[in-house]
Amino acid sequence: MRRALLVCPGRGSYGRDQLGSLSPSPILAKVDSFRAGLGRPIVTELDGAARFTAKLHVAGENASILTFAATVADTERIAKVRPVVVTGNSMGWYTALYVAGALELLEAARLVETLGAYQEKNVIGGQVLYPVADEHWRPDSGLQAVVDAACAEDGVHLSIRLGGTAVLAADQEGVRHLLATLPKVTRGGREFPLQLPLHSAFHTPLMQGSSERALTDLANLNLKAPVLPLVTGDGRVFRSHASPEEIRDYTLTTQVVAPYDFTGAIAQALGDYAPEVVVALGPGDTLGAPIAQVMIALGWRGLRDRADFLEAQTCEQPPVLSMARPDQRAYVVEA
Amino acid sequence: MAVNRAAIVDARFTDALAGMEPGGPRADLDAPVREGTALTARVALEIFESQLTSRHLDLEARRLKGKGESFYTIGSSGHEGNAAVAAALSPTDPAFLHYRAGAFFVQRSRQVPHQTPILDVLLGMVASRDEPIAGGRHKVLGSRALQIPPQTSTIASHLPKAVGAAISLSRAGRLGVEPGVPEDSIVVASFGDASANHSTATGAINAACWAAHQHLPMPLLLLCEDNGLGISVATPKGWIESAYGHRPELHYLQVDGLDIAATYDAALDAVDHVRQHRKPAFLHVKVVRLLGHAGSDVEQSYRTVEEIEAREAQDPLVQTARLLIEGGWMSSEALAHRYEEIRERTQALGEEATRRPKLQSAAEVMEVQAPLDPASVAAEVSRPVSAAARAGFWGERLPESDRPRHLAMQLNRGLGDLMIKYPQAILFGEDVAKKGGVYHVTAALSERTGVGRVFNTLLDEQAILGLAIGAGHMGLLPIPEIQYLAYLHNAEDQLRGEAASLQFFSQGQFKNPMVVRIASYAYQKGFGGHFHNDNSVAVLRDIPGLVIASPSRGDDAVGCLRSCMAAAAVHGTVCAFLEPIALYMTKDLYEPGDGRWCVPYEAEGPHVPIGSARTWGDGEDLTIVSFANGFWMSLRVARRLEETHGIRARVVDLRWLNPLPAEDVLREAQATGRVLLVDETRRTGGVSEGLCALLVDAGFEGSVTRIAARDSFIPLGDAANLVLVQEPQIEAAALALCGKEPGERRP
Repeated sequence: MRRALLVCPGRGSYGRDQLGSLSPSPILAKVDSFRAGLGRPIVTELDGAARFTAKLHVAGENASILTFAATVADTERIAKVRPVVVTGNSMGWYTALYVAGALELLEAARLVETLGAYQEKNVIGGQVLYPVADEHWRPDSGLQAVVDAACAEDGVHLSIRLGGTAVLAADQEGVRHLLATLPKVTRGGREFPLQLPLHSAFHTPLMQGSSERALTDLANLNLKAPVLPLVTGDGRVFRSHASPEEIRDYTLTTQVVAPYDFTGAIAQALGDYAPEVVVALGPGDTLGAPIAQVMIALGWRGLRDRADFLEAQTCEQPPVLSMARPDQRAYVVEA
Repeated sequence: MAVNRAAIVDARFTDALAGMEPGGPRADLDAPVREGTALTARVALEIFESQLTSRHLDLEARRLKGKGESFYTIGSSGHEGNAAVAAALSPTDPAFLHYRAGAFFVQRSRQVPHQTPILDVLLGMVASRDEPIAGGRHKVLGSRALQIPPQTSTIASHLPKAVGAAISLSRAGRLGVEPGVPEDSIVVASFGDASANHSTATGAINAACWAAHQHLPMPLLLLCEDNGLGISVATPKGWIESAYGHRPELHYLQVDGLDIAATYDAALDAVDHVRQHRKPAFLHVKVVRLLGHAGSDVEQSYRTVEEIEAREAQDPLVQTARLLIEGGWMSSEALAHRYEEIRERTQALGEEATRRPKLQSAAEVMEVQAPLDPASVAAEVSRPVSAAARAGFWGERLPESDRPRHLAMQLNRGLGDLMIKYPQAILFGEDVAKKGGVYHVTAALSERTGVGRVFNTLLDEQAILGLAIGAGHMGLLPIPEIQYLAYLHNAEDQLRGEAASLQFFSQGQFKNPMVVRIASYAYQKGFGGHFHNDNSVAVLRDIPGLVIASPSRGDDAVGCLRSCMAAAAVHGTVCAFLEPIALYMTKDLYEPGDGRWCVPYEAEGPHVPIGSARTWGDGEDLTIVSFANGFWMSLRVARRLEETHGIRARVVDLRWLNPLPAEDVLREAQATGRVLLVDETRRTGGVSEGLCALLVDAGFEGSVTRIAARDSFIPLGDAANLVLVQEPQIEAAALALCGKEPGERRP
């Protein structure tokens, strides 16, 4: 079996196209039961809604648990690859804690729920996407310079390094400024800069309050050293002898208020564990391109650009598998 | 056929696990791994993983070698206890490591984010240009982020610079220079028991003790990993403790390096001593060498199987495994699984490494060697020195207000102004402080700069150049002095193998700028002998990227010196600055009392670009090309040629021996079609060989004659003149080149 890096997606992954995608499973039932206990809409109900609405599905208090549930459900199906290392993007870090064995399911759900609930009617600032790769998915130093210059401005923060995309964050005024001043760039038919709806300025000092609340609300979060190596969004690896205190500090403080380096996490996982395949778990197909862009930047497996990557994807053993895509999912789950 | 000891050691480890008695399971990883040690189980597990990783890197090197993919199999097997030393240090402590430091390197990598040590080391083995430190130019253990400058030394030639870095740590702080590491950092340097005998090691350790004896800060941890062997030669029993156990100011500790808890405790002791007291320590770690010296070494040819097996039975990995399993911290199954998991990863990363690109052209190989941008150097030269600072330094009488003076005085003033311009500059050597140098070139500079910037060293050129390299690492701009050219030769490798190669093997990520002043050449009146009149520069000329200045007159000397310092400051250039001793005090050129070799001092003189010559006169009959004393003599001969024979010569002062001023030489050669090379260095390996080659390579079709010193050592007294270039020789050669007889007068 191919050695796999598992990647847990962030909150924005469950979108319109994922509505009705969840199959009943014991793990889903546990998450539903957890939500029901809180008196909140259960995941099965959200997934089964007649139509996708921003109010119901994009709002942080529901979007987070939906993405979490869909992702952990995927892990139950993994049969054809052998996980050797785990990472996540943004909120996906919380899911990754469960996938790697650092949290039990319900503790992870509590973590997701607690942080997600802080967003309820409480969006702080916002996030703006901007490309840092060219049309061929190669790093573009000119665009990177634009991002670096923007981040040097007062009140603008780097939120996430996401392969060929930078996620910038600021307060509302800063977001308006970014949208007005960043040069327009088109990638894949979409125009950037692009604001993420109902997203706060995650992974920036603007979230200091959330971090402080979480440290209190989740003081008894039962973290332990992971079973599988777990790569952070700041270039570290928590292994089986990791200190739970360090994991707590990273989870509830560092990654809440400091940039989430997903690019660095993928590079770390590849360069340290050499997985033969990267499996993007969960709903949506949001991470395939960023993962490929990191591979291209590293020259991983000799990949130089998007064309190389797409060709590699047609081989018998594609380097990246997105479980949200049925064709690729087939490489991971038993029929 | 040789037995594959790697396979035996590999299998023996797995077999050993099966025979270990598990202790009761224990969960509190923050407890000591065994009673009485400061090593917690958590840190022990971390160290163990580094040990396993290092071992698998050695095994993978052999696997890749077998496939024709790896070019380097010298490994760390048996030395993996050095991971415990790394754990006792801070990852910001600069580390100058020898080639068996794989586990140290991995362990430190785990203390710093964004590190991929397995892939990085493998990329080095396969010589891929993606390797992050040397870019495929050597398999080295090095990293900017890890504060590990790459070392290519196979001996202990990195120890002098470690001493230099240690003493410079606090000096940099005192001079307001940011050394790039925390103030309480210490320097660690590792080496083996065999290289502990090398003159670089003994000299460096002596220098460390010498400094500490005077209460100078010397925060240096010497890590001697004693495996009892230097390739095939056994170290005499007890030798290292006898040699280093009782040295002045050197705190000596000995420990069993196969026991990570003991090693960690001893390392903590040693590190604490060095960090707190700023005094050196010698940590003598007893290890074993497994898998032979390198992949190509057939150990069975010089050791019995019993001896080899006895060493293998002491495998440190087995010992750590026993500590963890019998302590109940890990099951043998989990441990075996971890061992195989790391093997699997390492092999997968090995495959990835072999797919990565190699260096493809000479230009690509050399692009990082010694970058030198003339425009940046010129801009830096023109950056003015603060007038107020100059007034404070020189007092009321600025040097430019003085009458024309000789070379030694101009150099003194040039150095003074450079000490003002570069607050990070330090000047040192034998006798340079109060005495002002043997020839007073540095007179009064120590008083003017204050303590700590101009200082005397001990009498050891390796230590002097090592100090310069280490100081450069710590952000200082060193101007070491070598008292005589002949003294350079015992220390030359510090320039060749160490200083000049650093940018090449680190792709410019580490720099050791310096301007080495060397009192050079012969022709001293009344002070003779080989050691004070050496005229051999061959060892310098072929060092890639080394800039060599060799001025003749005071104004050019100051200009060259300013350019060297600018290049060092901007590009980290390593420069050798050869000062002609015999011209230091020379005042006259043509006649006694004419004062024509004295020049006024210019605070902002004309820029002397590196590799640019200066042409005197515009004669069209003959081009004389020379430098230093030869240039002074050539000018005198040129005047006689014109006055006596009507031959009009132009005389080119090279000023730089590397890079040679090729364009200028060629242009002036073509102007007359007749070239006389006057070279006071030796005929074989001397400068004129390079000039001849330059003219031939450029297709010069005129006549070329060269006068060079004989291939002789320099004898005492007037006999020296028998083997050195003399003016009558120059004159005769010039006449012959112009088709005139020596007695032929001008028409």
